[in-house]
Amino acid sequence: MSDLFDLPFEEDPHEGANEPEPPVPTRRIYTVTELTVRVRDHLEERFFEVWVEGELSGVRLWNTGHLYFTLKDSSSLLKGLMFRSALRYLKFKPADGLHVIARGKISVYEPKGEYQIVCEHLEPQGLGALQLAFDQLRKRLQAEGLFDVAKKRPLPALPRKIGIVTSLDGAAIRDILKVLRRRYQNVHVVIRPTRVQGDGAAAEIAHALRQIVKVPQVDVVIVGRGGGSLEDLWAFNEEPVARAISISPIPVISAVGHESDVTIADLIADVRAPTPSAAAELVVARKEEFSSRIDRLHERLVSCAHARVQRLSRRVHELSGRRALAGYTTRLAMTERRADELTRALADALRSAFSTRARRLQAIERRLDAFDLGRRLARNRTSLVGVDSRLRATVISRTHRARARLSSLAGRLDTLSPLAVLARGYAVCWNEDRTRAIRDAADVATGDTVHVTLSRGAIAAKVSGIE
Amino acid sequence: MSESSIKDFEAAIAELESIVKKLEEGDLSLEQSLALYERGVTLSKFCHARLEDAERRIELLSERGEIRPAPAGLAGNDADR
Repeated sequence: MSDLFDLPFEEDPHEGANEPEPPVPTRRIYTVTELTVRVRDHLEERFFEVWVEGELSGVRLWNTGHLYFTLKDSSSLLKGLMFRSALRYLKFKPADGLHVIARGKISVYEPKGEYQIVCEHLEPQGLGALQLAFDQLRKRLQAEGLFDVAKKRPLPALPRKIGIVTSLDGAAIRDILKVLRRRYQNVHVVIRPTRVQGDGAAAEIAHALRQIVKVPQVDVVIVGRGGGSLEDLWAFNEEPVARAISISPIPVISAVGHESDVTIADLIADVRAPTPSAAAELVVARKEEFSSRIDRLHERLVSCAHARVQRLSRRVHELSGRRALAGYTTRLAMTERRADELTRALADALRSAFSTRARRLQAIERRLDAFDLGRRLARNRTSLVGVDSRLRATVISRTHRARARLSSLAGRLDTLSPLAVLARGYAVCWNEDRTRAIRDAADVATGDTVHVTLSRGAIAAKVSGIE
Repeated sequence: MSESSIKDFEAAIAELESIVKKLEEGDLSLEQSLALYERGVTLSKFCHARLEDAERRIELLSERGEIRPAPAGLAGNDADR
């Protein structure tokens, strides 16, 4: 650390000027450099390790990485310097106006004859160093707008893969996997193990985050660790982690420590989960929400189809009712009744097929409700799908069949219509006022007027005799 | 009407919702409503499949970017202790 102080001594320009003076053996005359070195040695020995408090001012980081500053109180100044090697371990950023306690040794910068403190450690007074560092970084990131609510992205509806960045040794990973296992069997998890505390942990977490967000199909990332001391959780308060979260292309859920621990990572993440378990619940809750939404939609879909078939069967009734108007011959009436019966049977079959299946579906669902949703879906998925496709097949085939039967019945009704008979050359003979068809020769007398309906047109005729 | 014509889960739910709405409003020909019903069933199946058919897998991503299955102890296929 003393590279600045061990500069090679330069020839003192005044040394030559002193030479002509006659040497006085009792006087010890130093060169400036000699004296300065003596003073330095004395100070360094005497103030090998001191603690001093004061306000920082003139703080300047040189491009060598060393920090220069002045410590002052109301009436004195003390120059100070902190080497890059010591600076590395500082959690907070020294800044003008901060009240600090410095630990180090007093030394002398010979070229300027200045004494100064070579600082080994700095800590802010009042607030802890960590708290101060936290506040400083939070302020900075806030100014950049990284905590803006508008920047928070919603969690994906259904993540194809869930990324997890945490330590394999910690409680967090076990808690997360436990929740996922209990709530849903079929999750696809990609874990990127990383150290979560100690020197360099922040850089490792940041690297892990940048890596996992690139894995195809990972739609959400949980980053975190279990509970611990403020120092243990510190990596999640460091800038590299914050930056890695802020540039993630996919939503990040932070889950650090317990409910009461709020880290920079928590502030910057899209969603903050109070604990790792809660993070897992968050992902799963979305899934359950969607699952029940789909179930409801499916029910509505089926009941729509059901209603549609009911309307259809009502129309079949109406149509067959209209056909009945034409039934004034016995055969016609009988055919009409048969058609009616057939139609009703069809409609009944349709209805009962539906209600049986609807009842079965409801029964299955009621039974399923008694179970955990996850197990319910997993176990009964196949049967639900089966019921559903049978249901659909029934709707389609029954409807088709009903329509086919109906049109064939209509065809048969047409061939039985009297008009069709007339087309074949038969005629209908009516009494004079056309109220009755004449079926029996005894119903008319010679001289009566009758009307004859032909296929095309009608004629009036007089009975010239009974045969 | 095949599953490949379904873009993604959220789009599928949205489409299913609009189909159900249309069917509930009525005023459709039998053919139209059957076609919609069929599409609705396909969508509903797709959504269920997306919810349920994923395989349970726990994998580890190494620092070098390699993915391998997690050790059995971690994947923990056994019941909770």
